[in-house]
Amino acid sequence: MIVGITIITVSILVNQVTKDTFSKNNPGLDAVVGAKGSPLQLILSSIHHIDIPTGNISYKNARKIIKHPAIKSAIPISLGDNFQNFRIVGTNKSFLKLYKANLISGTAWSQPMQAVIGYNVSKITKLKINKFFVGSHGLIDTGDVHAEQPYKVVGVLKKTGTILDNLILTSLDSVWNLHSVTNKDKLEITSLLLKYKNKTSSFSFPRLINKGTNMQAASPSFEISKLLKLTGNAHRIVDYLSVLIMILSFLGILFTLLNNINERKYDLAVLRTLGFSRWKLFSIILSEGMIISILGSTIGLIFGYIVYESMYYFSTVGRSLELGQLNFLNDLFLIWIIVNIIAFITCLVPCIKVYKQNIRSTLLNS
Amino acid sequence: MLICEDISFDIDGQKLFSNINLNIQPQKDLLITGPSGVGKTTLLSILCGIQKPTTGKITYNSIDLYDLPENKIDEFRGKNLGVVFQNFNLINTFTVKQNLEIAVSAIDTKKSIPFFNILDRVGLANKSHIKVANLSIGEKQRLAVARAFVGDPKWVFCDEPTSSLDDKNANIIANLIKDESLRCKASLVLITHDSRIQTLIKFSKILKLGDEL
Repeated sequence: MIVGITIITVSILVNQVTKDTFSKNNPGLDAVVGAKGSPLQLILSSIHHIDIPTGNISYKNARKIIKHPAIKSAIPISLGDNFQNFRIVGTNKSFLKLYKANLISGTAWSQPMQAVIGYNVSKITKLKINKFFVGSHGLIDTGDVHAEQPYKVVGVLKKTGTILDNLILTSLDSVWNLHSVTNKDKLEITSLLLKYKNKTSSFSFPRLINKGTNMQAASPSFEISKLLKLTGNAHRIVDYLSVLIMILSFLGILFTLLNNINERKYDLAVLRTLGFSRWKLFSIILSEGMIISILGSTIGLIFGYIVYESMYYFSTVGRSLELGQLNFLNDLFLIWIIVNIIAFITCLVPCIKVYKQNIRSTLLNS
Repeated sequence: MLICEDISFDIDGQKLFSNINLNIQPQKDLLITGPSGVGKTTLLSILCGIQKPTTGKITYNSIDLYDLPENKIDEFRGKNLGVVFQNFNLINTFTVKQNLEIAVSAIDTKKSIPFFNILDRVGLANKSHIKVANLSIGEKQRLAVARAFVGDPKWVFCDEPTSSLDDKNANIIANLIKDESLRCKASLVLITHDSRIQTLIKFSKILKLGDEL
């Protein structure tokens, strides 16, 4: 039972939190433009900061897109480095506005090599205002650092419950300086985060980019719904598996109690002769079964939560998931109730057997 | 007062016994004797509310025992009757003391029970933490007697309490039953085919089953 509930709990938590996080991480973006490759990879790397980017695009070309009449707003981002597995994102201050981010302390960056850090970054790395840190090459910590050019923390963001909490933001110039790109024609960014003026552009604009340039435009809502459909099937398989484990655990409880009663039928008959009524023995056996069920299901929930929390702390993918408003608690509580109701019904079988026991024949046969 | 009227019991349509009438006054004793197979143990089960008679009525202080629902019969037995079974019916996986505690918990009494005194009276005070499975036959018999009297019952029923014991132990058990009955002011109904018992306990009434009343 513990295993079954643990699997169901993790499945629900991951499913709910993933959906919740994907929806919260996207502050109404209509498209992302980046290097050609997998559109899902582009969305995951540019909005949700999970996957690696598909490549870089020319900033010169990107500026042309920014000026396109169909575009309401466009925010460039440049990825490539990290600090203790937290991604360093080169961007402009519109990125803060996009996520409606507020500072707990300090200010936004005003010159290269200044950084604003997310709430979780500050909490986990213990970085504070005016502290320096050096970024590592790549999006995961490899130890290969830009020691000669440290960043200075100038601001710490309030908790937003979005991916912003796990990011380190700086200017695009910082990223270009760090990678010694001086030729303005050779400047590159990872992607552009776009909002359309008009929703009708969502059909024509991606076609324009995908066919007419060496870049691609991907729709976050389309790609994420595709992903959730895929993972939803996997979740369903996990859920079926955990239901099967649950059924086996109910049968386990049933046969354990039946076997227990069979072994103790003489003792139970003795208890009747001492004055324990049939109802009293009925309630004792029921309590035994329900204690197993309640303990098993509660420990399963706790284990499931611990597994989920471990994923959160020990994996970079987990860090991009946020617990949000704990809406899933209702679902978990409902499952806990259903499991214990089924266990209650299962326990009635041995209880009725005890209730119907003939004490005289049991004592004589023993 | 215990009154039995026209008690009879059939097994597979065959009469085991019939028309048994008894009247046991408070604090009086009854000995039921007879050869093996005449239904002595069955009669005791009927008197204790464990086996319903085919016909007849059993009344304890004007309470018709088999008129009560089965749950109430169990509760009545726990609160008012003490039974020493022929094969003891102790819980072997429990210790000596636990066997007394479980008997007390069936009664729902708020009275504090002096387990040590009870075990001391039956000579098992130094064995309270020993499992029943490790006791001798004589010790088990003494524990069964102690358990029957632990709730201060008003009626005590003993089924062959001395038949498997040597003279010395039979004497101990008989005295124990007699003393405990006096202490509890209980009526004693003892069933046996052991002829030694009449020399050890003086009964106010004797019922010979399979012979004549």
